[in-house]
Amino acid sequence: MSRKFDENEDLRRLLAAVALGDRKAFRTLYDATSARLFGFALRILRKDELAEEALQDAYVSIWHAASSYQVHLSAPLTWMAAIVRNKALDAHRRLRTSAESAFAPGDCDPVEALQDGAAGPQERAQLSREALALAACMERLAGRQRQAIGMAYLHELSHGEVAAQLSLPLGTVKTWIRRGLERLRDCLTKGESA
Amino acid sequence: MNIRDNAVLRERLAAEYALGTLRGPARRRFESWLRGDAALRAAVASWQGRLAAMAEMGRPVRPPPRVWSGIERRLQLSPAPWWRFWRVDAARPWAGLAFFAGAAAIVLAVLLAGRGEAPLPRQVAALADAQARTALVVTADPARRRLHVQVAQDVRVPDDRTLQLWAITSDGKPRSLGILPDNRSAELALDQRAIGPDVMLLAISLEPKGGSPNPDAPTGPVLYKGGWTRL
Repeated sequence: MSRKFDENEDLRRLLAAVALGDRKAFRTLYDATSARLFGFALRILRKDELAEEALQDAYVSIWHAASSYQVHLSAPLTWMAAIVRNKALDAHRRLRTSAESAFAPGDCDPVEALQDGAAGPQERAQLSREALALAACMERLAGRQRQAIGMAYLHELSHGEVAAQLSLPLGTVKTWIRRGLERLRDCLTKGESA
Repeated sequence: MNIRDNAVLRERLAAEYALGTLRGPARRRFESWLRGDAALRAAVASWQGRLAAMAEMGRPVRPPPRVWSGIERRLQLSPAPWWRFWRVDAARPWAGLAFFAGAAAIVLAVLLAGRGEAPLPRQVAALADAQARTALVVTADPARRRLHVQVAQDVRVPDDRTLQLWAITSDGKPRSLGILPDNRSAELALDQRAIGPDVMLLAISLEPKGGSPNPDAPTGPVLYKGGWTRL
C-alpha cells in the first residue's frame, strides 16, 4: 500500500519540477510512466507507428501543461492517461473512415486485457491504487458489459456503434452501460470509504 | 429542466459524459449545466478519474527510443553543444540558480548590514527546490513590520499561475502569508504568523491565479522550502 502512495507522491513531485522546466525530472517521469501509457495508446490505436505518434504528442502536451495539473482533482498517472487518450482519440478520429481503425471488440474488455498482459503478481503490483480498485470492481460485471464500457471508452463509440459492433439491440446496450456504470460507482465508492 | 435535485440523474449523466456516450443535444445541454454547477463538474472529474484507471489495465509496452528522441527534438530539450556555452538554456533557464541566489543572499545581507541607519533584517530565509537550488529569499524587517520576498531573477512561473507563500507550523499546519502578484517580488505584512516561535518552515506553492482556493492549505505543488535564519 505504501508503495502506491510513494509512487503518486513521486510522480507529483516530478510533475511539479516539470512545471518549472526541469528536463531531468521530465526524463525521469517519462521513464517511470511511458511503458504503461504506450501500452494504453496501443490498445486504442492498435498500430505501433500511430501509438508512437500519439505518445509523443501526449508527452509534448504534458511538458507544456504540467503547471495546470491540479493535485486535488486527479492522481498524476490518471491525469497523464487522460492526455494520452485525447491524443490517441484525435488520431483515431482522423482514421475513422479508413479500414485501419478496425478493432476486435474482444480486445476491449479491460479485465481480459489485464489478465492477458499482467497475469503475474509482479505486474499487478505495478498497478496504481486506482487501477487495482477499478479492476476489482470490473471483475464483478458481466464480460460483455465490460466490453461495452471498454469499447465506448477506448474507441469513443456511441451507444449505437457499440450495439452494431456487438450485434445487440440499442436498448440493451444502453441499459448495460448505464447499469454497469452504476454498479461500478457503488463498488468503487464502497472501496473509497473503506 | 432542473437536475440540481435529482442526484441519481446527475450521477448518471456525469458518468456517461465522462465515458463519452452522452452525445448530441443532450451533451450540449449537459455542458451548459456544467458551467454553473461546480458539484456537477466535480462529479464528472471523479468519473474521469475512475475511468482513466482503465489506461493501466493492459500490458505495459516499452516504447522504442525514437519516441523520446522525437519528444526531445520537438521541445528542443537537447543541451546546446559545449562550444555554445553562452547560449541561454531556454528549457531550464534557472539551472545555475543555486550559486547565483546564494551569492545574492550574501550580497543583500552585506549591503543591508553596511547601510548604517537602515534597520537590520532580523531574519532571512532562502527557499530552495528539491535539488537544493535556492529560488527565492524572504527577509523579515521587524522595524517596518514588512516581509520582503524576492524571487531569483531566472525563476520561470507560468503566466496563469501565482506563487503563494506559507508558514508551516511545528504541528504541520500551513498558514498563508500572501501571494506574489507578479511572481517576482512582494512586500507582505509581518506579524507573529510569519516569524512566531511555532513557525518551522516557509514554503512556496504554485497556485491558480489569485492564490489557493483553500485558505488553509496549498492546492498546488509545493515548489520551494526553507527555514528562517536569525542574523
